[in-house]
Amino acid sequence: MTEVINVKDLTLTYADGTKAVQGISFSVNEGEFFGFLGPNGAGKSTTIKILTTLLHKTSGTASVVGLDIERQAPLIRKLIGVQSQDTSVDPELTGRENMLLEGHLQQMHGKELEERVDSLLNVVGLKEAADKRAGRYSGGMKKRLDLASVLVHKPKIMFLDEPTTGLDPQTRATVWDYLEQLNKSEGITIFLTTQYLEEADRLCQRLCIVDQGKIVAQGTPAELKSEIGADAITITMKDGQGKSDDSLKAKGRQLLQSLPNIMNVVDSGNGLTIYAKDGGYFVPDLVRAFDKSDIKLVSINLSTPSLDDVFLKHTGKRIRVEELQKQTSSMFSRGRGSR
Amino acid sequence: MTLFSDTRYLFVRALKKLVRNPILIFFSLFQPIIFLVLFTQLFRRFNELPGFPPGISYLQYAAAGILLQNAFSSALQAGTSIVDDINYGFLQKMLVTQVARPAILLGRLSSDAFRVTVQSVIILVLAYLLGFRVNTGLPGILLMLFIIAFFGLAWSGISLALGMRTRSAETVFGIGGFLTFPLLFMSTALVPVSFMPSWMQDVSKFNPISYAVNAVRDLSLAGFYSTNAVLESIGVIALIAVITMSATLYMFRKVVS
Repeated sequence: MTEVINVKDLTLTYADGTKAVQGISFSVNEGEFFGFLGPNGAGKSTTIKILTTLLHKTSGTASVVGLDIERQAPLIRKLIGVQSQDTSVDPELTGRENMLLEGHLQQMHGKELEERVDSLLNVVGLKEAADKRAGRYSGGMKKRLDLASVLVHKPKIMFLDEPTTGLDPQTRATVWDYLEQLNKSEGITIFLTTQYLEEADRLCQRLCIVDQGKIVAQGTPAELKSEIGADAITITMKDGQGKSDDSLKAKGRQLLQSLPNIMNVVDSGNGLTIYAKDGGYFVPDLVRAFDKSDIKLVSINLSTPSLDDVFLKHTGKRIRVEELQKQTSSMFSRGRGSR
Repeated sequence: MTLFSDTRYLFVRALKKLVRNPILIFFSLFQPIIFLVLFTQLFRRFNELPGFPPGISYLQYAAAGILLQNAFSSALQAGTSIVDDINYGFLQKMLVTQVARPAILLGRLSSDAFRVTVQSVIILVLAYLLGFRVNTGLPGILLMLFIIAFFGLAWSGISLALGMRTRSAETVFGIGGFLTFPLLFMSTALVPVSFMPSWMQDVSKFNPISYAVNAVRDLSLAGFYSTNAVLESIGVIALIAVITMSATLYMFRKVVS
């Protein structure tokens, strides 16, 4: 496999002393879908800006497509497509004009450019709206136009800085499909940053988990999650009178003490979350134990660990994205204090 | 020659944006037109005062000032466009392409100069309908337009630098509005220098607007033989251009690197 991005001990310190990137090393192979997962301020955008020649590194080395990011920046620009965090289309130009301008600035002209623009507009589903001003597009359409426009010159590597932040779930799913298709059918290497766990999990073949300018873990999503070494079983309970309160949770905890293979038990709000090896085997034991007691199990939810658990393990905190907290609240949310 | 073609693409982009936002041109032209139609009528008997050049109407006198006022205030808004490009990420998007980087500025500046020229032609036509005449004919008009556009270009430099420094369209608008009237009133744009109190006469001598106005006025009232004013004005504008363009380049390098 050929390495298309190689980064060694990269650092960037801003003029105000902020250490945005603090000695990161990683590499990306050709054709790979690679991700940086981390919360706001982790240094994701800064890393992308350095690799796409927009910012100068403070120290370390980095190459893109075998070219040095400092000395061969103009050559790199020919080979990469970059979508920044803000959707940057010109609202007063039509979709087609936006793409033609981008193509012209990438030194493409004439029929070749027109055909390329037509086919891309088709692919991202903007054929009908191509001659309307981009300012009248919906958020999702702008995003797709932005994506299409940075692909005009057939880049070898795409850099996507939080491509779905601020999009509604449906549009996000559309963008995901499109990115997967790009990666698979056109073989474009994709470097993506995200703060969404399920985005990294679904799209990235390999990823780095980043926090405060450092890489805290890297590997495939499956490798990273297997590090946790336990499944999460979330239960809710009630007693004979149908009550469920804190005293019941305490009773539940006592009951759990008799069971094998439990690594940790945390309060998950309306119930308890148990971390246990081989969760599938553990559940029957759990049910039997409760069956013998006067506590009734209302629900049992078995899940494998998520990337958020990995992040928690390495940083001691969870990735804070508002809309994700609901889905992962059963994991470690209340348990931080008890660990 | 990608610099030339890139500049052309970005020039065309800027023009398209302008044409699709005609309200911007309307707002820019609103003030000069009010001056042209109302102000010159309100003060039409200025030409009876001692010290006023004999034998000409106030409109004939003030038209040059109104043309330069328009160029000045339009140029001082130029920076708002680059603020938009920075804030919407469009500048960054251009910077990761192979675009010849100076073209980003040149496309901007050339379209600003073009805009000032078009607005000046509209004002000239309107002034002509109201009775304004240019003694030097078409060549004189072309030279006038050149001076006006060059003047606009020089000042749009400072606006671009401000835009890149503050990244706030409001600030650019505010500073532009703040500068326009004091500089306009303390120049020979609307009254002969002898009308002013002596301290204002001193200010006027150092006011670049005065030089540009004097040149344009000479071309409309007198003839090419008074090339002194024309050459002087071009010299002064060139000096301003060097200063403002240096500031712009400096800021651009900072933004780009």
